[in-house]
Amino acid sequence: MAQVYLNQLAHGRSGDKGDTSNICVYARDPKDYEFLKRILTVERVKSHFGDMVQGEITRYEVDSLHGFNFVMKHALGGGATHSLRLDSLGKSMGSAFMRMKIDTEE
Amino acid sequence: MDGKKIRIGGGQGFWGDSNDAAIHMIKKGNLNYMACDYLAELTLSIMQRQKNRNPEAGYARDFIDLVRIIGKEGYEKGIKIISNAGGMNITGAVKAIEQTAMDQGLSGYKIGYVVGDDMKDRIPALKAQGLDFKNIDHDGDFSEIEDKILNANVYFGHEPIVACLEQGADIVVTGRAADSALFLAPLKHEFGWAADDYDNLARGIMAGHLLECGGQGAGGNFDYDWRAVPRMDELGFPIAELTEQEMFITKAEDCGGLISEQSCKEQFLYEVHDPANYITPDVNVDISHATLTQSGDNRVKVGNIKGKTRPDNLKLSIGYHAGYKVETYLSFAWPDAYEKAQYAADILMKKMKRKGLKAEEIRIDYLGLNALHLGVASMDPELVKNMNEVVLRIAVRTLEKSEAMKLVPEISPLQLNGPPGASFFGGRAKVQEVIGLWPTFIPRSVVELKSNILEVK
Repeated sequence: MAQVYLNQLAHGRSGDKGDTSNICVYARDPKDYEFLKRILTVERVKSHFGDMVQGEITRYEVDSLHGFNFVMKHALGGGATHSLRLDSLGKSMGSAFMRMKIDTEE
Repeated sequence: MDGKKIRIGGGQGFWGDSNDAAIHMIKKGNLNYMACDYLAELTLSIMQRQKNRNPEAGYARDFIDLVRIIGKEGYEKGIKIISNAGGMNITGAVKAIEQTAMDQGLSGYKIGYVVGDDMKDRIPALKAQGLDFKNIDHDGDFSEIEDKILNANVYFGHEPIVACLEQGADIVVTGRAADSALFLAPLKHEFGWAADDYDNLARGIMAGHLLECGGQGAGGNFDYDWRAVPRMDELGFPIAELTEQEMFITKAEDCGGLISEQSCKEQFLYEVHDPANYITPDVNVDISHATLTQSGDNRVKVGNIKGKTRPDNLKLSIGYHAGYKVETYLSFAWPDAYEKAQYAADILMKKMKRKGLKAEEIRIDYLGLNALHLGVASMDPELVKNMNEVVLRIAVRTLEKSEAMKLVPEISPLQLNGPPGASFFGGRAKVQEVIGLWPTFIPRSVVELKSNILEVK
C-alpha cells in the first residue's frame, strides 16, 4: 500500500485570528478531491494534531475550488503575543497539516 | 453598459512590509487606487504603547516614508492612496503626511481622514449603558481586564472612507478600518453600488481580501510550488481589476511574483472561517460556490461571489496588559545534540525551582527538531540522534516582570557549566510585555465615525 505525505496530494495556507487557526487545504489535482473528502475527516485531523490543537475543529467544504477550510480553536497557545510558541501566528500550521501520512489506497 | 474599469493595488500586507512592490506598482501598475494595510490584530496595542511613551508616535511611520517616495508621482498620475496607517494616532499621521506633501510642493493635496474608531475612553460609559463586552472566544470575565486596557478599537467598514473620497481626497488615512474596507471603499465610490447591492459589495470585499496581505496574494508564502514563483526578490503585489460585470486579479508588468489559480486559492480562504458566512462590517460574504479561473498570463478571473445583509454588531478589539514573557536560546552541537539540550533544560528547570519561579506558562522547544511542528514533528530516532545541532529554547510567561527576569542570567553560564559544546547567541534576552486580546461585539449604533479633509496649503 502506497503511503505519501498529504502535501503530495494537497496544498494550503494557515492563518490566525486570536487563538484560532484556520488552515485551507486544496487538492493539487481536482481528481483527488473526493478522495480527500473521505480521508480528511475532523476526527482524523484532530488525532493528527493531538495536543497542538486544544479546541474544537470544524471542516468547511468548497467544492467549486476543490478545497476545505479547517477552523481550529485554541490552536495557537493563546494567540499572538500571549503565546509562547515560536510560531505564535501559526504560519507553519499548514505545513504541519501537510505532513499527515495518507495511504493512497485507503 | 458602463465600460468603466478600475484597477486597485494592494501596496502593503502588514506593518513592516517591503515598500518595493508599492513603489513599482505606482510606476508601472496602471492603477487608479492603491490601498495599504498596516494593521494586524495586535498592531494597535503595540502602537498604543508607543504613543504612551511618545505622544507623537502611535501610527505607521513606514507609511510616511512610502508617501515621501510615491506621493508626488501618485498625485500627478491621479492614483489615490488609502491606508489604515493612522493606527492609534490619526492626528499625528495626518500632520506627518501634510508636512511631507508640503516638502514636495503638493499644494492643494487633499488628505482625508477618519476618526472615531478609538473606543477606549468610552468603555465605562458604554458599560454603564448596559454593554457587557462579552468575549467572542471564551467565557472570561470582563471585570478581570477592565483596569488593564491598553486600547479598544472598533473594526469599521467602507462608508467613512467613501465619504472622504466623495470630498475629493487624494489620500485617505484611517485607524482600525477593516482591511477589506480599504479596497471596497474606492470600488463602491467609483461604481456607485447601492447599500443593498450585496453581491457587488461582496465582490469588492473579496477583491480586498485577495489584496490585503500584499505579496501573499501574488506567490509569496506559496505552498503549491514556491520554486515556480519567478523573481521572488522583486515580488510584485496583486492588483484587482474590476468592471461592473467582472473581476480579475493580476499584477504589474515587469516584476516578479505569480498570479495563478493556486496562488489565488491559497489567499482566498486565508483567515476566513465559514466560507458561506464570511462576516465583515460591510456585508456578509458567501464564497462557498466561488470560482477562480486562469484567464491569461498572471491573470485570474474571480466569479460567483454572493453577499448577504451586513451584521448589526461591529467587532471591537480590546488589547490589555497581560503580564510578561521572555525567551532564551542556547545551541548544542553533535554528537547527541538533542540529549545535551534536554539535559541543559533540566538543569535550568531545577535552578528555576530553587529560585521559586512563579510562571503562568513555561515552554521548552528544540529548534531544528520540533519548535514549529510541536507534537506533529518527526521524532525518528535516527534523525534525532544525528542532528548536527539543535537550539534549546525556553520561554516563560509570568505576571511579574521580576519573575521573567529570573531566567535571563542563567542561560549563558551553561556554556561552561553544562553539557559540552554549548554556544550562546543573541545576547541577553529582553523581557517583553504580553498583550492580551479581548475580542467582543458592540452595536453599530454606538459607533460615531467622522470623515474630515485637510487641504495642504
